[in-house]
Amino acid sequence: MSPTKIPPLTYKVVAECSVSKARAGLMTLRHSEVNTPVFMPVGTQGTLKGILPDQLIELNCQILLGNTYHLGLRPGIETLKKAGGLHKFMGWPRAILTDSGGFQMVSLLQLADIDENGVNFRSPFDNSQCMLTPEHSIQIQNAIGADIMMQLDDVVKTTTTGPRVEEAMERTIRWVDRCIEAHARDDDQSLFPIVQGGLDVPLRERCVSALMERQVRGFAVGGLSGGESKHDFWRMVDVCTDHLPKEKPRYLMGVGFAADLVVCVALGIDMFDCVFPTRTARFGCALVDSGQLNLKQPKYKTDMEPIDKDCECTTCKRYTRSYLHHIATNESVSCSLLSIHNVAYQLRLMRSMREAIQRDEFPQFVRDFMARHFKSEPIPAWIRESLLAVRIELPADPVQDKTEQEEQSRPEKKQEKEAS
Amino acid sequence: MKFVIESISKNSGRLGHLRIREGGPDLKTPLLLQTTKGGSIPWLAGDVFEHQVSQEPQVLELTLSNMGHMADALQQWNNQGRGVSDYVGFPGNPNLLLLRDPCETTPSGSNDRDIQPLFTRRGRESLTAETYIEMVAKIQPDIFQGLSDADTNAESSKKRAQKSVDRTEKFMQYIYEQSGKVRGTLLAPIVGGYNTFARTQSIKHAREQPAESYGGYVLEGFHNNGLSATSLDTSKLLPIVEHCVKQLEEDKPRIIPGAYTPLTVLELIRLGIDVFDTSYAYCATHNFKALTFTFVKNEKEDKPFLDITDDTIKEEFTPLLRDCSCLTCQKHTRAYLHHLYKTNELLGPILLMIHNLHHYMAFFERIREAVANDTLPALTELVKTQNGKSSSDFSIVQNTKVISKATMSKGFVAAAV
Repeated sequence: MSPTKIPPLTYKVVAECSVSKARAGLMTLRHSEVNTPVFMPVGTQGTLKGILPDQLIELNCQILLGNTYHLGLRPGIETLKKAGGLHKFMGWPRAILTDSGGFQMVSLLQLADIDENGVNFRSPFDNSQCMLTPEHSIQIQNAIGADIMMQLDDVVKTTTTGPRVEEAMERTIRWVDRCIEAHARDDDQSLFPIVQGGLDVPLRERCVSALMERQVRGFAVGGLSGGESKHDFWRMVDVCTDHLPKEKPRYLMGVGFAADLVVCVALGIDMFDCVFPTRTARFGCALVDSGQLNLKQPKYKTDMEPIDKDCECTTCKRYTRSYLHHIATNESVSCSLLSIHNVAYQLRLMRSMREAIQRDEFPQFVRDFMARHFKSEPIPAWIRESLLAVRIELPADPVQDKTEQEEQSRPEKKQEKEAS
Repeated sequence: MKFVIESISKNSGRLGHLRIREGGPDLKTPLLLQTTKGGSIPWLAGDVFEHQVSQEPQVLELTLSNMGHMADALQQWNNQGRGVSDYVGFPGNPNLLLLRDPCETTPSGSNDRDIQPLFTRRGRESLTAETYIEMVAKIQPDIFQGLSDADTNAESSKKRAQKSVDRTEKFMQYIYEQSGKVRGTLLAPIVGGYNTFARTQSIKHAREQPAESYGGYVLEGFHNNGLSATSLDTSKLLPIVEHCVKQLEEDKPRIIPGAYTPLTVLELIRLGIDVFDTSYAYCATHNFKALTFTFVKNEKEDKPFLDITDDTIKEEFTPLLRDCSCLTCQKHTRAYLHHLYKTNELLGPILLMIHNLHHYMAFFERIREAVANDTLPALTELVKTQNGKSSSDFSIVQNTKVISKATMSKGFVAAAV
């Protein structure tokens, strides 16, 4: 199909921020070119909630995420094989990334139990004892045929402490070798290892250096965005990007709130995914720079403005907040309309960051964004600290009520947990 | 509103032109209205409809039962001179306001002398002629129906049929008096169930009004909307419709809302009905059926539907309907639609509605051709037999299948081993 001499993933840095660790890159995959930093919308079951592939292309979405666990259940591997892979099955011509399925196993199946062999679980089908091994995960992902696939990792809760964290990290390294060994389509698909190590800096460093010894084309940072403090979160990202090689893409799993995206791009991350934009759409919420509008609120009943005057999406061009207020959560079309806007918002935010990096105006972009995002509210300390770590200084908060300023972080902008 | 009849034929019905707005599009009848939910084409974003289904001007069939809660906002919007079509995302398209949603079964009962129940998502609301006219004045549709009691069907007693006529007459006395205060064109409701005497009375009341007091007729009370319209006994329906049509003024359009089957639609057109809606396509989509009935002569026998819930299509990597030019058939397969059904994904009804609307609208193109050529009986025969021998069943049965929870089938792991 494709000339085997060209690797299935090439990545090149096209511009670097002269202040922070942010970089803009071009990743070339079998099915699409991908401009990084990139946000990958989550199409769990072979579709992005209520959006046509043509609409995603119109939004210039270049890569989607699919969930191996869900696709393995339905339509099932046999059907996907017969269809010629997920791209053909769902009618999506551009790039796809799949996870390993391990995360869902552990989070959705209470019976799951991990040992050196793999993830043990009791099949709800006939109650027999089954196991998802690193080899299985890779074979399933080979059948799905995504451009980028993830190793099976040993997932522990981010808040876990003690020797279990180290064990999981060491096992993840052992498992990546089994995954690489099992990978049968290295000419078409690229396997990313996952950096684990909990919230422990030395463990993360050890994991990164061990994984760097393997022949891989990119790296994922896992085990974050699971309820840990933001203070720990940014430090782990920072430590990983400090040590990961510059010439390969870095993917931070499960992160997608706007402020987190901006901070982590500054820390040198290239790829993100999150169910939040499409999930919040189902509850009638629209993303804007200042956070999100809950369109069900009575104040939007007679608001005849679009969600965002400057947004170019088809929802903002055609519908008012007032109309969306009346149909949100009532008519199913509202879910499509808000998903389109929210995905458009995420992609536009990423594009603005790429452009700012290319003009070498990224630090100013960050300052402007944080001003719009937090308006008169104080900027959380973790954001100040993390940006300062990459030499981006934010202006002081406008002087106001002192007690308010002393609060470490403002009430989070509706933090929703990831668990697709 | 202007309605001009181009031709009338004994066997093929009427061909006409409807202009709803001054300077608006010239619409050919038999006409298909776009049924809506809260003002949107069901499941489809405005640009998806325009890019993937049709760029021709459409008449939006709005219903008070799912738009009543927008009345206050619309009043404010309309003060800026924008119009309800613009508000729901279809600027420039004409619109028509009905009371009841033809897509969903209208509950029976709760009729009172001065009050007409309105069934909304928020429950039952009560309309009087006064509150109804106030809401119409806020929404400002191009066309609106008169307030009616249409709670009848083939099983209704003579007494119920008579009551629906009497109550409607009472509502309409007020509506005719007040209709000058409202901008849009009024449709006179014709009710009375399957009772010829009651129907005649209902028509008589409308025809007693000055001819310019209303612009067309809406024929109601043959069914309770939703799937009930897809399984009517035509041996009862057609005589009563014929009885009505004979007494109506020729030069006013006749509108019949509801999910009548393609075959019944053809019969109704022959009798002289002019305007229908897409609720049949909605009902099919809602129950996971792709419309596949043919209206073109060919060698192979066709079936009215493809059942998306059917497990036998799980690995059929072919279009819903061969030779169909819609987006769904061009880019997606039966297997994928089945998967979207099994996973309860929103893209399923979206892709299905694109196909069903495309197919049903093409059917109406074919109908207008047949009426113009006076070949409606041949088309009717073709639709009835589907290029086979027996007659086909077009009624839609509610999908009661329960999707079993995804199970960790052995295939999940076995496939890999």
